[in-house]
Formats: sequence, structure tokens, C-alpha cells
Amino acid sequence: MSFPSNRLRSPSTAAALGLAAAIMLVPANLLPVLTTEMPGNNRTDTIFSGVVELWREGLWAIALVVFVASILIPILKLVGLALLLLGARRGAGGDARRLTRLYAALDFIGRWSMLDVFLAAFLAGLVQFGEFSTVTPRGGIVAFAAAVVLTVLATEAFDPRLLWRETPVPSDSP
Amino acid sequence: MNPPPAPKVSRVPAFPLIWVVPVVALAIGGWMGFRELRNRGPEITIDFADGSGVEAGRTVLEYKGVWAGTVESVQLKSGLDGVTLRLRLDRNAAALANEGSQFWIVHPEIGFSGVRGLETLVTGVRLNVLPGSGPPARHFTGLDKTPVPTVADGGRTFILRSGQLGSLTTGAPVFYREFKVGRVESSRLADDSTAVLIRIHIDAPYVDLVRTSTRFWNTGGFSFKLSLFGAELKDTSLESLITGGIAFATPDDAPLAPVAPDEAGFTLADEGEKEWLKWSPHIPIKSPESVMGAPPRPSLLR
Repeated sequence: MSFPSNRLRSPSTAAALGLAAAIMLVPANLLPVLTTEMPGNNRTDTIFSGVVELWREGLWAIALVVFVASILIPILKLVGLALLLLGARRGAGGDARRLTRLYAALDFIGRWSMLDVFLAAFLAGLVQFGEFSTVTPRGGIVAFAAAVVLTVLATEAFDPRLLWRETPVPSDSP
Repeated sequence: MNPPPAPKVSRVPAFPLIWVVPVVALAIGGWMGFRELRNRGPEITIDFADGSGVEAGRTVLEYKGVWAGTVESVQLKSGLDGVTLRLRLDRNAAALANEGSQFWIVHPEIGFSGVRGLETLVTGVRLNVLPGSGPPARHFTGLDKTPVPTVADGGRTFILRSGQLGSLTTGAPVFYREFKVGRVESSRLADDSTAVLIRIHIDAPYVDLVRTSTRFWNTGGFSFKLSLFGAELKDTSLESLITGGIAFATPDDAPLAPVAPDEAGFTLADEGEKEWLKWSPHIPIKSPESVMGAPPRPSLLR
């Protein structure tokens, strides 16, 4: 993957996209992502209430996977990105190697973080038994997808070579 | 040709366009949150003596057969004398949460006078509501059983006093000349417990049949009389045979007695006298169509 224009590839872009992703994470976690309607079971879930429900049903492994993939990792990725940006700004110095590994990890995780979106899309497509049972995606899943995409773009916009500069650079230098 | 004008050099550093993205994200996120909050109706709590079948997140409140809210949590009251349900209403259903609103849990009911709530066998119980007309309220006490469905048809109710309830259940028919003109709404013991008070409802077209001199009697069940002169089996319709029933007759006095007012009281005889059956006053009844447009009674339920 490469960012469309090298001119846009700057810590400033990464910070702006990361901030946008952080903003989108708020509705993604607070708003419902999925409504399921079955006879005797109508429910509207946010990501977190879905995790709680899975846990209560005894599906601990799945609950853990969803919690890690959908709540923990998006937040950790943004925290990691913030560390990278700070490192690039101050000059990473001795931390350069560790921060570069962090960058590689973030880049790798990016493509695996659409789990919830795929789940909602699959469920909505598969579970449409007319009047009997329907699954409807809700606004939260859109916000979640936006947050994931923005995080991936922000990671892409960050140039890890900045970590290896000798002298600190102002954040807006191209 | 003129030379092009000298370029202007701006001293203000250009605002990096990429920062529009978080601003847009903020706007979209804010709008989503606002829309969600706006669609959210009020939250109410209802106390019930018994909450069997109610499940958080699954049991819904319906009004006029459509979804109006969902139970969000079910909790035992601290005194263990009941349960408290917390509901989130639909925004459009906010007017259901008024003082005087009555909530009850619909269980399947199968009785001689009909089958109700049968679909709840499959879907689980649900809540129903009869909205009150008071100011908005947030806390309610639910009814133990389904309130009597009173039809706002311009009919009249009367109170009958009887020594025994007999087999008169809610919904039992009230006959005039063995023609069904009303039904039993409810019954209770008199305050001094010396009698049973039975509230009956006469449908709008037939209210004029009930005069102040009208006699009511119980036609419930059947009785079998054995005497020196033979056996006599008394029964009325099959329906009243099962559920019990009430019949009435009005004496054909020369000037008819005045029409009985709403809520008038009468005595319910254990059985009708032969003479009553001969009464045949000419009383014009309203055609059922003419009362259809009658304004609804001010209070739906008492």
C-alpha cells in the first residue's frame, strides 16, 4: 500500500486522520450497531452490549475476540499512532527501533480490524427470513467502519523514516 | 498586451486542508449522536406484583397492536414484594406515559368467553397500556390483570346486587328476550360483604330497554326441578349454560317507567318469574347504525 500522494504524507496528515478516527470511535461505541428481530427476541446492540451478551451466553472465546478486535485494538492503535507522532516530533533517538516495530504492527493489524463490519454485513445479508427474522445494521457500524478506515489511512500517512532523523523536526515539514 | 499583475504573496500560512477531515468527522459524529438522542423517547418505570415471563431487552410494550417501547431491565424490588420494570419508550409514544396510564402484562388467556393474547404463547408476554390523560409521569404501578375492555359505544352500565355470584364470569351475556344486548363487565363483593355487586354493560342500541322498573334475573346454568307433577328442565342458550348469564324484562305499564340512568342499581333475582316473561312493552330501540357515530364516553375505564 502506498499513500496516493507523497506530498500528503506528513505527520500533520497522520495526526488529522487519527483525530478524525478518534472522533468516529465515540459514536461507533455508543450507538447501536445491529438490530435483530426474531419472534420473542427483539434487540438492539451496541458493540459493548453485544460483547456482554456473548459473554452471558457462555461464548467466552467469541466475546473475547470481539472485545479485543472491536474495542481494544481500535483504541490501542490510536494510542500507538499518537506515540509514533510524538516520537517523530521529538526525535525518537534510542526508541527508534522499538517505534518502528510498533509501526509495522499497526500496519499489519489494520487490515484485520474490519471484523465487526464484516459480521454485520454478513448477518444482514444472510438473516433475512422475511417476516420471521431480520437483522438490520445501524448507524454505529458506519461510524466504526469510518474509524477503521481513517486509522488505516493515518497509519499509511505516517512515514516511519521520520523516526530515524538526527534532529527534531517541526511537525508540518513535508 | 499588458503584463500580468504582480503575484500577491500571502504571509498567512495556508491552513492544511487535511484538517477538514476531523472537522467533518466531528460534524457527522455529532449529527449521529443528536439523531439517536432525538429518536429516544422517555424512560419510565413500572411496578408489578408479578413479573413472570418479562425479559429485559425482549419484552415489548405495545399500544394498539404496534411497538411502543422495550423493557430494558427487570429488577426485584428491595422489599421482595414485586418487580420493577424499566422501559424505554419510542419517541412517538411519549404520550403513553401520562398520569393515570394503566399498564398490564398480557398472558395467554383461554376462557369460555373467548381466547385472548394467544400469540404471546409464541412471542412471550408483552405489555399493554391504556394511556391516561394526566400530565406526563415517569413512574407507574401496573395492573395485576387485564382491565375489562370497555367499548366506547355510548352504552350504559348498571350495578346488579345479588346474593350469590352464581356462574357469572366477566364477559357473560345479558339477554333481552334471549337476545344478547350486553355483557357482564366485572363483579366484586359489596363493601359490607352481604352481597355481590355485578357491573353489566348494555350496548348502545338497547339502553332504552332498561327502565327504573326493570327486573333482572340470573339465567345461569340449568336447574332441574322434580315435583309431583313431573320434571322440569330450565335452561337458556348454550352460551349462558356454560358461562352463566343475565336476563331482564321491563313491565308494560301504561306510562312506561322512565329510562334508567347510567350506573343505576338493581336487584338480581335468582330466577325469573313466569309473569315477567309475559311483559311485552313497546320500546323503540335505536338502530345499531345510528349509534355508531356517537361520541365516545369520556372515561374509557372505571
